Amino acid sequence: MIQNISIKNNDFKLHPSGAIYWEDKKMLLIADVHLGKVAHFRKHGAPVPANAAYKNLEKLTEISNHFQPETICFLGDLFHSKLNEEWQDFEKWTEYTKAEIILISGNHDIIPQYLYEELGIKVFDELLLDDFLLTHHPTEIKGAFNLCGHVHPGIKMKGVGRQYLRFACFYKTLNSLILPAFGNFTGKHILKPSEMDTVFAIVDGEVICVSKK
Amino acid sequence: MKQSELISIAEDWFQSKNWKSFPFQQKTWKAFLNGKHGLLNAPTGSGKTYALWVPIVLQYLKENPDYKTKHKKGLKAIWITPLRALSVEIQQAAQRFADDLGTGLTVGIRTGDTSQSERAKQKRQMPDLLITTPESLMLLLASKGYDKTFKTLTAIVVDEWHELLGSKRGVQMELALSRLKTVSKELRIWGISATIGNLEEAQDVLLGMDSEFRKNAVLIKSNQKSKVEVRSIIPKKMETFPWRGHLGLHLLEEIVPIIKASKTTLIFTNTRGQCEIWFQKILEKHPEFAGEIAMHHGSIGKETRLWVEQAIRNESLTAVVATSSLDLGVDFAPVETIIQIGGPKGIAKFLQRAGRSNHRPGEPSVIYFLPTHALELLEASALKRAASEEVVEDRIPYLLSFDVLIQYLVTLAVGNGFFPKEIFPEIKSTFCFQGITEEQWQWCLNFITLGSQSLQAYDEYKKVEVTPEGLFKVESRQIAMMHRLSIGTIVSDSMMLVKYVSGGFIGTIEEWFISKMKPGDTFVFAGRTLELVRIRQMMAQVRKSSKKTAKVVSFMGGRLPLSSQMSKILREELQSEADHKRNTPELKALSHIFDRQERESIVPGENEFLIETFKTREGYHALFYPFEGRFVHEAMSSLLAYRISLLSPITFSLAYNDYGFELLSDQYLDIQTVIDNNLFSSEYIFDDLQKSLNATELARRKFRDIAVISGMVFQGYPNKVIKTKHLQSNSQLLFDVFRDYEPDNLLYLQAYRETFEHQLEEGRLRLALERINSQKIIWKQCEKPTPFSFPIITDRLREKLSSEKLADRIKKMTLQLEK
Repeated sequence: MIQNISIKNNDFKLHPSGAIYWEDKKMLLIADVHLGKVAHFRKHGAPVPANAAYKNLEKLTEISNHFQPETICFLGDLFHSKLNEEWQDFEKWTEYTKAEIILISGNHDIIPQYLYEELGIKVFDELLLDDFLLTHHPTEIKGAFNLCGHVHPGIKMKGVGRQYLRFACFYKTLNSLILPAFGNFTGKHILKPSEMDTVFAIVDGEVICVSKK
Repeated sequence: MKQSELISIAEDWFQSKNWKSFPFQQKTWKAFLNGKHGLLNAPTGSGKTYALWVPIVLQYLKENPDYKTKHKKGLKAIWITPLRALSVEIQQAAQRFADDLGTGLTVGIRTGDTSQSERAKQKRQMPDLLITTPESLMLLLASKGYDKTFKTLTAIVVDEWHELLGSKRGVQMELALSRLKTVSKELRIWGISATIGNLEEAQDVLLGMDSEFRKNAVLIKSNQKSKVEVRSIIPKKMETFPWRGHLGLHLLEEIVPIIKASKTTLIFTNTRGQCEIWFQKILEKHPEFAGEIAMHHGSIGKETRLWVEQAIRNESLTAVVATSSLDLGVDFAPVETIIQIGGPKGIAKFLQRAGRSNHRPGEPSVIYFLPTHALELLEASALKRAASEEVVEDRIPYLLSFDVLIQYLVTLAVGNGFFPKEIFPEIKSTFCFQGITEEQWQWCLNFITLGSQSLQAYDEYKKVEVTPEGLFKVESRQIAMMHRLSIGTIVSDSMMLVKYVSGGFIGTIEEWFISKMKPGDTFVFAGRTLELVRIRQMMAQVRKSSKKTAKVVSFMGGRLPLSSQMSKILREELQSEADHKRNTPELKALSHIFDRQERESIVPGENEFLIETFKTREGYHALFYPFEGRFVHEAMSSLLAYRISLLSPITFSLAYNDYGFELLSDQYLDIQTVIDNNLFSSEYIFDDLQKSLNATELARRKFRDIAVISGMVFQGYPNKVIKTKHLQSNSQLLFDVFRDYEPDNLLYLQAYRETFEHQLEEGRLRLALERINSQKIIWKQCEKPTPFSFPIITDRLREKLSSEKLADRIKKMTLQLEK
């Protein structure tokens, strides 16, 4: 169910939750969780089921228990909007988690940086680790491979008999890998790959390469 | 003043105009003056406005004998119209009568087109008669002190009630009336409806369940028969006339002589997109019409629409290409000729459009029917019969529309606030909510106050709050404003304003259309070629362009299904063809298509049910022809696909139109197994349908409207750019979240129920299956697509259903690459 890929002699595990485990750095990469989105909607009078909010943290716990990473790096849009009650649950989660936590700030991350720092979370605009550039928005730098989020990538598959299916995916180009959105209350943006791109779709709990046959 | 004296005032006025009142008008006047409620069944152009406006004025004279010297202030009557375009006509007619009698009564309009300053003025001092729409009436209920505004109300007239009845706007009206009944003690409720099959029910829905109102009500029929003559435009060369399509441009030249022969022609199209294209093409082919033809549809700016309407009255236009925005009520005397492009799908709509042309006493209204593809001629032939046999359709009212109820409750909470124990009996007295239980009521209250059914820890949910006295009220100004902007039950795609860079408003178009364009791209809208300069918030700034472009603005818009009455006639027409009668000019014109159908398959007769299979590049096609109308086919295709998918893992893509439906698969489908397994059985259809709905996207699509109406998705508003940052979501996402976390939510369940009750019309489905079971099934294995199959297999709007594993399906698929 997990896809192993190698980039610049580093090993990565693509997990069906949408997270990536970077073996060489023992680092878990997660993009676009959008915590607090449910509460944000509810606060503004849109009654999204409150239970949907807890699922994200459950998923985070499961995945970190599974890989036991040394570092968890969020590639932006960790929190959907302003501070709300989901922050308290997130606080508890950080206390419970043994790994060091890093946040690469995204366009949705408007919560003051010091609040993260009080929880021991380091916040960066971007981070260059060896030849790997970690960002929220897809970013090109010469010589570096970009790991990023923001796009919520999805793809459309076509079959005989006018069949179409859409899936969230890991989207790899020559110099970048875009992670799917991890959050459960997030949409996806359908991309049209070129021949050069590699696409790993998340299908029913499996990560399947759909671009090369 | 005695009643007879009052009536003679009206009669004298009629005489002064050289008119004579009709018996139905006199009957209505008397009934109204006797304090009755009722429903008036009268067609457009029959004098229905005076049937009800006259007694409203007379009642005022009766109560205020010194009316000539002293004007009693306050709102007397509300006139509800479903279309903004109608209001000016009614205002002019009403004002004329009020002025001629020297009453000093004023007539005002309040719709989405009314300016802010005018609204504020009205709020300070209401006109005596207010002409408004259901949505604007709701907005009045959302303002503080509405009870004082409506206290003096003596009458509410709901015009074109048949139009509202079968929609959620009808439910909105029912709820508004339930409130007004309490607030306005002297209220008389009247509806005006064109002829429909269920007039009695229409009256019950209007008046609600209170026996007081029902007992004291009358149903008045005008008995005015409007004769309609239908003329089909039959292509000269049938051989080259297309088998599919929906634009009909092939026959453009045929309508030119018709336009030139009459003073004013209205050309009705079925969609705004089609309207734009026809307008463009007529001018392109016949530049001599420049300045003499115009276009009218709901997305064009108000100024332009009003100008066009006025120009029709002045006889300064030769032709107007329009959509349903010109359907109702407006009485344009100079209009001589009507052309309908493409099937109108309903008899009532067709006849109503026919009725727009001039009515010389004794002479029939003439309507031309222009088919957009060959088989539509069959529809023309059926429409002719429907017109001559005076077939009428039912309008089915909605039941238990919780989305509209929730919107209404928040509306009341935004206004004065409400006490549930006062409002519940009112709700329960409406037709729509007569079956609501205490639990469901409590659920709705919990939903608007807690956002769920139990108090959640640390929840910050905020919408309606409950004061210590038990008053349900919206305190937050932001929530109140967002709610006011969202009032309504017509859900459209996100709309964008189109404006010139230099200023000047052109109209609104759907966001998805503009989102596909880059600055510098050109498109045609409102009859002009425009270049997109930039997008600013919810506004597209454009400039005029002289470039040629084929990109004409298009709109999503729904497709109209055939009514059951219409599909029956259609089936009978076809069967007369199977018997080789070919007794109408339309059927005669279709003979080469029928011959080809006969050669490659058959034309099914009365006792035959045709199934065709063939293979193309796209896969294995199986076509079924019940001739039961789109809705039934939608249900039957998903039911059948579901039952087949139980036999072995298979994936289908489904398409349907008014004649039949298609199951398309990448696997061969043996029809004999379908027949042997008795898959057309009418047993367990409720259960199987329910399950097939879970497997398809039908309910998911219904949920979109429900989510918007109940306020879970905020659409924003074209004229007011508000910050909705971080509040964007879509109903698809919400549907999944409800399915996973709150599957007993009443609104989520409503999506399924509505699909059943309205979309799928379970009763009709059962009858159709029973009919098929009594027919002889004929399975034709064809070489290639047949004439009957063509319009269906080329349809791109499809439903899907699968019993295969995703991982298995994806192995057979290919990635959609960049083009």
